[in-house]
Amino acid sequence: MATPPVDTLAPEPKISAPARGGKLSAANKLQAVHYRLVLTLYRIFAIAVLYLVLIGIFAYAWIMGFYALNTSWAAPVILSASDEKSLDFREKLVTSQQTIEDLKVDTHKLETGLAEMREHRAALLTLAPQLRDAIAREKAHNTTAGPALAQLDRQKLADNAKTQKVLAQLKEVEAGINKDLAAGLITKGDAAQQLSALNQAQDAYTDSKIAEVLLTDSVLDKTTTGTNTLNVLEKQAELQSEVAQLDIAISVAEKQFYEESRQIDRLREAITTAKKSPYYLNASGGQTLYFAFVPYDNQAHAVVGSSIYDCYLNMILCRHVGTVKAIFAGEEQAIHPIFKTQVRGFMIQMTLDHAESAKSKTVFLGHKPVLF
Amino acid sequence: MAPILLWLILVLSLLITLVKYVMGIIMRFSFRSTRARKDYSYEPTVSVLMPCYNEGKTVYETIESIAKSNYPNHKFEIIAQDDCSADDSYQWMQRAQHDFTNIRIRTGRNEVNSGKARSVCNAMQHSTAEVIVSIDSDCIFHPDAIRELTACFAEPKMGSVGGRVGVRNPNDNVITAIQTLIYYAAFQLYKIPENWTRSVCCISGCLFAIRRELLLEIEPVIRARNWFGIPLSQGEDRFLTHQTLLRGYGTYINNDALCWTTVPNTLSVLFKQQLRWRRSIVRDFFFTLKTLPQHVWKLHPNTILALVLVPLGALVGLLVVLTALTQDPLSWAGPLPVVTALGIGAILTWIVKRYSAREAVAHPLAFAAYVGWSMVSSLFLTPLALCTLDSADWGTRAVDPQTTQPREVPIGNPTR
Repeated sequence: MATPPVDTLAPEPKISAPARGGKLSAANKLQAVHYRLVLTLYRIFAIAVLYLVLIGIFAYAWIMGFYALNTSWAAPVILSASDEKSLDFREKLVTSQQTIEDLKVDTHKLETGLAEMREHRAALLTLAPQLRDAIAREKAHNTTAGPALAQLDRQKLADNAKTQKVLAQLKEVEAGINKDLAAGLITKGDAAQQLSALNQAQDAYTDSKIAEVLLTDSVLDKTTTGTNTLNVLEKQAELQSEVAQLDIAISVAEKQFYEESRQIDRLREAITTAKKSPYYLNASGGQTLYFAFVPYDNQAHAVVGSSIYDCYLNMILCRHVGTVKAIFAGEEQAIHPIFKTQVRGFMIQMTLDHAESAKSKTVFLGHKPVLF
Repeated sequence: MAPILLWLILVLSLLITLVKYVMGIIMRFSFRSTRARKDYSYEPTVSVLMPCYNEGKTVYETIESIAKSNYPNHKFEIIAQDDCSADDSYQWMQRAQHDFTNIRIRTGRNEVNSGKARSVCNAMQHSTAEVIVSIDSDCIFHPDAIRELTACFAEPKMGSVGGRVGVRNPNDNVITAIQTLIYYAAFQLYKIPENWTRSVCCISGCLFAIRRELLLEIEPVIRARNWFGIPLSQGEDRFLTHQTLLRGYGTYINNDALCWTTVPNTLSVLFKQQLRWRRSIVRDFFFTLKTLPQHVWKLHPNTILALVLVPLGALVGLLVVLTALTQDPLSWAGPLPVVTALGIGAILTWIVKRYSAREAVAHPLAFAAYVGWSMVSSLFLTPLALCTLDSADWGTRAVDPQTTQPREVPIGNPTR
């Protein structure tokens, strides 16, 4: 393969820029002035913009670094009267108080009912021994009276048997009277008198039989368990049942009373806690209150009475604007005023001498964040 | 109203970017028309123009890789031009000229430092080739690169063709790993929809081929390019691509034409490079807006959207990031951006490892750092670019003040 020549470039005549060499025409002069003017303005603008960009970058980096390291900032929160959370809080509070009132009425009813039931129970309980004693007394009496009556009943039976034999002989006596009358041995008056005496004896026998039957009944009453006794025992059982039922009712009522009382206590505790919330204070107080959110990382600086500083550009040229009045216990979540991330923390109440500081993005607790 | 407009623009920009990547995947595998018609029998004469500044020995390696091209030696030449390097770049150039005698190599040196774009224009004066290939002096080229570029000029309306730029140092550190994945995705996916309409908005200056007559037509515009009287030498690749499109020619990236560049491996150099690129994007955006009616009549809507909405997205992105930082200062530190970046990083790492093992990234988790970089990019690069439009500083290379003059200089070789 043939080797092509290796060469170098011949020097070239200089090519001059037409606008730069020779005399400039009027149009070119005008254009040059125009260009210079535009370039000057552009450069001024560009330098200003670039410095602004530089300042912006440093400011951004500084703010990010500052808030990443600072542990004393708090974010003021303005709670309006129509604040949703406050209104919700108030509504819940009213509901809770209403519930307490309802529960109070209920517990009062329960208390009254309980007292009545206890009184009734006490009355029943006093009745029970009397009944028991009466039954015992009767039982004891029957134990002694029953055999005695049985003995008498047996005797009565024997007496009646004897009387019956005597009455059988009386029929012969009546026939003798009638015979005597017919024979005229006796007068009609005497016969009637004698016959009446016989009837009386028959009548006495009948009475005696009746007495015997009654006595047999009495013996049965005294020696066996009769319906009367059963009735008394039933009454006794009813009495005991009623007492037991009352015991159950009292127990249930007592439990309900206890639970409702506890619920009242709990609600009262909740209301007491709620009254310590900024939202309650905001919802109930007529005056303007100032609150601030403090992240947990900055908790050490949130002390009641510590100073609050408000700063220009959220970090420099700070002034004392108030103190921390109260610290609320409940956890709150808020958006980090700079990083815009979710942060956990709590609320504090501030006493502010300068109300406009409540509108600042951040304030600082305890001391100025930088030296001035 | 203004915030809604901002969000709308941002969403549109992101949507276009997303759609471009998704369309890139779909088109790459389904649309044959995303690939240009190549004719390897078409072998025009080629001049490889290589401006150089402070590259040291790398320039020797670059010339060596070009000298090993599978292109008929008699049909191409290398014109290397040193732009007043403060180091021994010029000596390495001459050594290469001496060592690689299989092709014609011409070397030259500017009298004063005058920037890449003008060096290319000056070098072109010495070329009579049909196709001009402009390359970066810190790249290594695949032997088929020139052949692949010229084959695409078989399409008569093809004006400029670029190659894929790979990364030579993917595993230097996290910074180069991220750039490797981004470069790969940009060439293999993002630019595919633009390839479809032959309207790539920016062909990389690392490997840029253009028809000679087209470059001659554009040359006066390049030389006259200025910003309120300040000559501009940055972003010449984007400018040249844009000008190609405006002249009714097609632009195309041939991913088979490969070259590898050494990407910045320090934050400071990366920042300066990205600032230079962002400046070019902003300037190009203003130029587009200024000549919008011309664009509407001449260009494909796909191209106009890319030229307007993507840079607008970068501008609006700044406002959105600022708003986001104000509203939620730690939003960037959330898990979603990192997880998203890690996911994208893992996928891209796998793809690169499979299809371009040479650029395989060792630590895919490195891509998570892209979240931090995107913040820096959105927050600082755009405002800095907007405020330094008058800067002609290249940024990533030290400039010798004695040789730097704000004037146009001829190409030459005073030492020979």
